Parts: sequence; C-alpha cells; structure tokens
Amino acid sequence: MIEVKNLTKSLPNGRMLLDGISFKVKKGEFVGILGPSGAGKTLTLRCLNGLLKPDKGEVIIQDENGKGHDICKINKRELRRVRQRIGVIFQGYHLVKRLSALENVMIGRLGQISTARSLFYGFTDGEAAEALLALEKVKIGHLAEIKTGNLSGGEMQRVAIARAIFQLPTLLIADEPISNLDPSNAKIIMKMIKPLSATMPVVGVFHQPEMTAKYCTRVIAIKDGKVIYDGDPKLSNDMLVEIYGEELSLIEQQEHAVPAMLIN
Amino acid sequence: MNTVEITLPSKKYKRRMTIFSVSALVVAVACIYMNFNPLGFFTEFHFVRDLLGEMFMPNYRMLADNPSIAYSILQTLSMAFLGTVYGGIIAVILAFLAALNTMPYRVVRVLTSITLSLLRVIPVLVVILIFVIAVGPGVFAGMLTLVITTIGTFGKLFAEIIENTENPPGEAIYSVGASRLQVIRFSIIPQILPSLIANLLYAFDVNIRTAIGLGIFGGGGIGFQLQMAKSVLHYKDVTALISIIIVLVILAEKLSDFLRRKILGDGKLR
Amino acid sequence: MKWLEFSFKRYRKWLLPLLILAAVTEGAAIVCGATFGKLEEGLFKGISFLGFMFPPDWSAFAEMVQPAFQSIIIAFLGTVFGTLLSVIFALLAAANISNPWVRNITRLLIGLERSIPEIVILLLLIAAFGLGSMPGIIALSLGCIGMLGKLLADTIEELDPIMMESMESVGANKMQIIVFGVLPQIMPNLISYALFRFEINIRLSVILGAVGAGGVGYELDYSFGMLQYHRAFTALLVIIVMIFGTERLSYILRGKIKMEGALK
Ligand SMILES: Nc1ncnc2c1ncn2[C@@H]1O[C@H](COP(=O)(O)OP(=O)(O)OP(=O)(O)O)[C@@H](O)[C@H]1O
Ligand SMILES: [Mg+2]
Repeated sequence: MIEVKNLTKSLPNGRMLLDGISFKVKKGEFVGILGPSGAGKTLTLRCLNGLLKPDKGEVIIQDENGKGHDICKINKRELRRVRQRIGVIFQGYHLVKRLSALENVMIGRLGQISTARSLFYGFTDGEAAEALLALEKVKIGHLAEIKTGNLSGGEMQRVAIARAIFQLPTLLIADEPISNLDPSNAKIIMKMIKPLSATMPVVGVFHQPEMTAKYCTRVIAIKDGKVIYDGDPKLSNDMLVEIYGEELSLIEQQEHAVPAMLIN
Repeated sequence: MNTVEITLPSKKYKRRMTIFSVSALVVAVACIYMNFNPLGFFTEFHFVRDLLGEMFMPNYRMLADNPSIAYSILQTLSMAFLGTVYGGIIAVILAFLAALNTMPYRVVRVLTSITLSLLRVIPVLVVILIFVIAVGPGVFAGMLTLVITTIGTFGKLFAEIIENTENPPGEAIYSVGASRLQVIRFSIIPQILPSLIANLLYAFDVNIRTAIGLGIFGGGGIGFQLQMAKSVLHYKDVTALISIIIVLVILAEKLSDFLRRKILGDGKLR
Repeated sequence: MKWLEFSFKRYRKWLLPLLILAAVTEGAAIVCGATFGKLEEGLFKGISFLGFMFPPDWSAFAEMVQPAFQSIIIAFLGTVFGTLLSVIFALLAAANISNPWVRNITRLLIGLERSIPEIVILLLLIAAFGLGSMPGIIALSLGCIGMLGKLLADTIEELDPIMMESMESVGANKMQIIVFGVLPQIMPNLISYALFRFEINIRLSVILGAVGAGGVGYELDYSFGMLQYHRAFTALLVIIVMIFGTERLSYILRGKIKMEGALK
C-alpha cells in the first residue's frame, strides 16, 4: 500500500508546483494519473520514490513485511532499502544502453545484493535464469543478449517492465510508459502492466484517457498541482474537458471522447 | 526449459577474470622489466616531501635580482609567437601546394604531401638538437624548431581543410572564366579563413608549451632558466619559475580562446 | 581611383589587426634575433645538416632495438597508470557523481596539471627520485590527468541523467551506479582517448628519454652529444618508425571502436 498525504512543493518565486496532493493506492489497484502537460504528474511520481523531496507532506510506503516508511523522512540508507522494492518504469530511454537486455534486467536487483558482490562477482547464474524468465514473460526472451541501445522503443519499455518484475517489487510506478509507442504496442504494454497490480499497487502516468479507461481500476486527474478527480476510470466528457481544456472539446473532442464513451 | 542461449554470469566472470589477470600480468611484467615499482611513488614519498620542503616558499625575489629572467619570459613568448606566425605562413603555402583542388601538378602535390607527412612524425627533440648544432643554442634555434613543428602539426591539416572546401562556388567561377588564382582568392580563402585562424590560435597555445620544453634542450627562454635553476639546486627559484610557467600557459590559453571568440564568434574549433 | 577606395573600405577592418600583428612580429623578431633573411638561412642550415647526417649508421640499428622497446614500454605503462588515475579524477570531477566542492577542487587540479608541461613534471620528479625510468613513467601518468581527466569528466557529465536516476531508483549505491552504469557507457570513449594519449606519450617518451628517463630518446641525445651524427640518424629513423607505427595502430583500433560504438 502507498499513501500520499498533502504533498506540497513550490518554487522560490512562490509558484505552487504541487499543491496538497493526497491519495492512497492499495494492492490490487492499477491507478492511472492523467493531467495536462506541466500539471505536476512527473513531480508527484518523483516524490513517490524519494527522487524529489517535497516541501511538505508524507509518502508512506509499506515494505515487504507490511511495515510503513515515510519516504520523505527516512535517511539515505533506509531510503535505498525501501527503493529496492519499488519498481520504476520511466518515460523512454532510461536503460544502460551498452549493456545487454539481460544485464539491464538484473540491474533491478543491484540494491538487493551486497556491494562487494556486485562489484567483484556480479550476478549469479540463478539470477540470470530468473531474469531471463522475466524477459520471457514480456515476450522478448530472444533479445536477452542484445545491447538495449539497439532495441526499439517498445522493446526497451518491455525490458524496463521485465526489470521491474525481476525486482520483486512491492510497489510499481511508471511515468508515461506508453507515450512513444505505436497503438498496438501500447496496448501490449498495458496488458503486461495490468496483471502486476494483483500483487502490488501500480501507479502510472498516462496521456491516453482511452487507455486508462480500459485498463486502469481507478483514475486520478491532476491539474495545476492539485487532484481534481479521483475515481472511476471511465471519465465523462465534461471531466475530460475540465482536465485538458476547451481546445479538446472544440477540435479533438471526437478523437478522445468517443473511445471513452464507447467503453461506457 | 530456457528457450534461448545466454552467456551465464559465471562464465562472464571467468572471462572477465582471465582478461583482468592477463592484463595485470602484462603490466606487471612490463613494470619488472623496467624495474618500476608503481607503489614506489608512495613508499618513497619522503623524496617528494623533501623536495616539496625545499621548493617552498617560492623565491620571487630572484625576479628582481636577475633581470634576465623577465627577459627570458619575453623570449619564450616571442619564440612561440614567431614559430606560429612563420610556421603558419609556410604551412599554409605548403598546404596549397599539397591540396588537390589548388595544385594541378601531381609531382608537386605528391612531393609536398610527403614532406608534410615526414615533418609530422619527426619528433621535436630531433629538430631542436639539429638546429642547436646548425645555428647554435639559443632562442633562434628554438624558434626555428617551432616553425618546423608548426608546419608538421598543421600543414597536413590545412591541406585537408583546403580540400574539404565546397567545390560548387569554385566551379561556378571557373565557368565565367576566372583564373586559378582568382578561384583561390574568391572561393577557397573565404571558406578556409575561419578554421585557419582558429587553428593558428590553437597552435600558439600549443607552441607556448613546447617552447617551454625546448628551453631545456638549448632553445633558450624560461625553460632554460628552469633547467639552470634546477641544476644549481635552487629549488625555491624552480618553484617560482614553475608558477610563472603555469600562469603563462593559462594566460596563453585564455588569450587564444578570447581572440578566437572575438574573431570568429562563439563557434567551436574547426 | 574608385577601385582603390572600394578596396580600402573592404579591407579596413583588417588593417588594424594586421598592423598590430606586424608590429608584434617585428618586436618578437628583435627578441629572437630573427630577421626574415636569417630565418631562411637557419632553416636552410638545418636542412643541410640533416643531409650531413646521412647515411644512417646501419650497424647501430641492433643497439637501438632495446632502447626503442623501452621507450614503448615507458609510454605504455604511463598510459595504463595515467588512464587509471584519470578515471578516478574524472569521477571526482563529474558534477553528476561527486559533490560540488570535490568537483570544483578536482577540476582545478586537472586544469593546473594541464598547464604544466610534462617535461617540467619530469624535471621535478628527477630532482626527487633521481634519473631512471621511474620518474619518466610517473611523469607520463600524471601528464594524462590533465587531458584524459577533463575529457572523461565531460563525457561522464553528458551521461543521461535519467539513466542514473533509474539506477538510483532501484536502490543502487554510488559505486554500483559507477560500475554498472557509468563505466559501460563511457568505455568506448575511454579506450579511444587512452589510445590517443598513447600516441602522445610515445612522442613524449622520446623527449623525456633525453632528459634522463632512458630509452631511444637518450640514445638520440647521446649520439648528438658524442657528435656521432650517423648514429643519431639511425635513432631518428627508429623513432619515426615507432611514432608512425603507433599512430597507425591507434588509428585502426579507434576505427574499430567507432564502428562498434556506432550502434549504441
Ligand atoms: N526544477 C524546477 N524548476 C522550475 N520549475 C520546475 C522544476 N521542475 C519542474 N518544474 C515545473 O513543474 C511543472 C510540473 O512539471 P511535471 O514534470 O510534473 O509536469 P508533467 O505533469 O509531468 O507534464 P508532462 O505531461 O508534460 O510530462 C512544470 O510546469 C515544470 O515547468
Ligand atoms: Mg512528465
């Protein structure tokens, strides 16, 4: 379970980037965060695993033993320990390009093995076999030995998912995991992420309301650093307009709204 | 059950260890062959400490006591400057003689190209030793050396720059009946001028460093003073001279950067 | 007349710089005692002296082999230890790895080293340790720091920050990020810079040899000193072969690396 309470972050000039964001995600939920560009979605996610310290607020994450930790308050060592069990899928290319897909997957457990072993011996054969299983789960086992720099965007995103699976996380967060993929690949990725929510809370940022409507169990909309909607993934037309603004209703309403309504 | 073959980490580890041990062995053998103990620098560090003890504080008074030092700074600067100017001029001329699009006669082209390639691999040390014998030790020998090394380092490069100029304007000018010299003047020179200037400024920067080193082999200038101070064990003077050298090199670098920006705008070298 | 006016206007902005250039050249020429006529004469004397050195003393070739080999080994060891040192310095000087204070101080040291000619370092080391190959090798190693350290630090600073964050996000510590993220990514650059430096070190090893580090540079200096010019010519030929050979070798190897690095 992850609980976010009253996250607040402002610039020195007084502009509020995050303005009292609160939500709670339990195991079994796949939460999609929507919002216009610059709304503060990435900032929120970065607060979730401590890459960013909010000015105010708490982020409480339950570890594998069910004990809660406030990410914003714990020390560096503790933070590293909690992060070992947080799977992350960032937008686009965040893998080590000159390492193979398999090695990138194994990096997911770097935090969990001792420094001495990681520096001198590296990973074990058992871990490699497990990592390969993770890659096979996302259907790219045959690419295990290829350098990730040579993979396509969709394949890289699958490596990232495999890495998260291999990590045995208790929480998964994803920032725009399908943004630079073609529609069919986007669906495949969504289908791969969704089942993970059976064992852990999953929080993802998306720009595709039709996708979140179809795959997420819940949608949170953020605008100007505030949560303006939290509930059913199938958004009404009015809500979409409220999130993305008038232009959507005037020009692109059909494109975006129709699939959402169809699902309705 | 695994459908794909993967190199197991244990195998990779073995391979890594083999590569590592072999390279370590090669380095170790090389060290033993040269009778060099890499840790010697630390275990024998007291030598360095003693030296540093003798070197501090730098004795700047010597600057006042010995006017030839200030003059030697000027000598080093002049040497580097003239080496760059004369060497640069000759390098440009030779480059035109060696470039395909400016030199129609194959024989001349090939001969100049060979000369330039040879000059490029001849080490500075040889050049200075030759000039010290040919014209006697001193700044003049140092300057001649810099002329030669400047030609060597930049001649070939300049020829390449000339060859890389865009042809179309040249051909267009030919087609209205321009002579070869006119093409060089109106098409090629404007194209190569910026990179020539940038490279010559860089050459000055390099030549300052070389000029300092040359002093030690009879090229005069501040390097010579350094060698003298060292050989009579005046280490406090050595420190002062080294600090002057550092300032000199940094200033030369800044100056050449400044001029490059001033003349060419914020573009990068080349 | 019109022609003259036009021309003058056109070249006016070059006039002052050219005048300054001419004046400085004149001044420098006075300091160096180098008029244009004397310049020509000096160059001619140098070239004719080269003719006087001809032919090489063929019998001395055998004596040159070992010193040449020693020079190469000195350059090799200098490059190996220098590269290792440079990597450490580069890591300390990279803003995304080290802390601001350490970074700035290391950058300062790197800049300082870059402005001391290798030969000066060698003179000092000889003053401390006496003649021999040891000061030569150490001088070459230290000499690498200024160039390789800076180039590598810049390379590291250009690494994708998202890649580093994503490793941080799985709980990896600094050392692990360096070994699994930074080093694999900079390896092609590292090797090609090191090869480039090896070329420079070969040239330097000749010069340093003459000052007392041994090797073929010493043979050259010695032959000159003993007025055995034909023997000196032999040394010159050996040196040229050495420089030319390493240049080719490094060129080929760097080409290979570029090919491999092309598909990142
Ligand atoms: N360090 C910073 N300094 C100033 N402004 C910042 C900083 N970091 C983020 N911001 C601002 O915070 C706002 C929210 O950024 P954020 O990256 O969270 O947007 P987002 O909702 O993820 O948008 P997108 O959908 O385009 O990714 C943006 O307007 C951005 O300009
Ligand atoms: Mg974002």
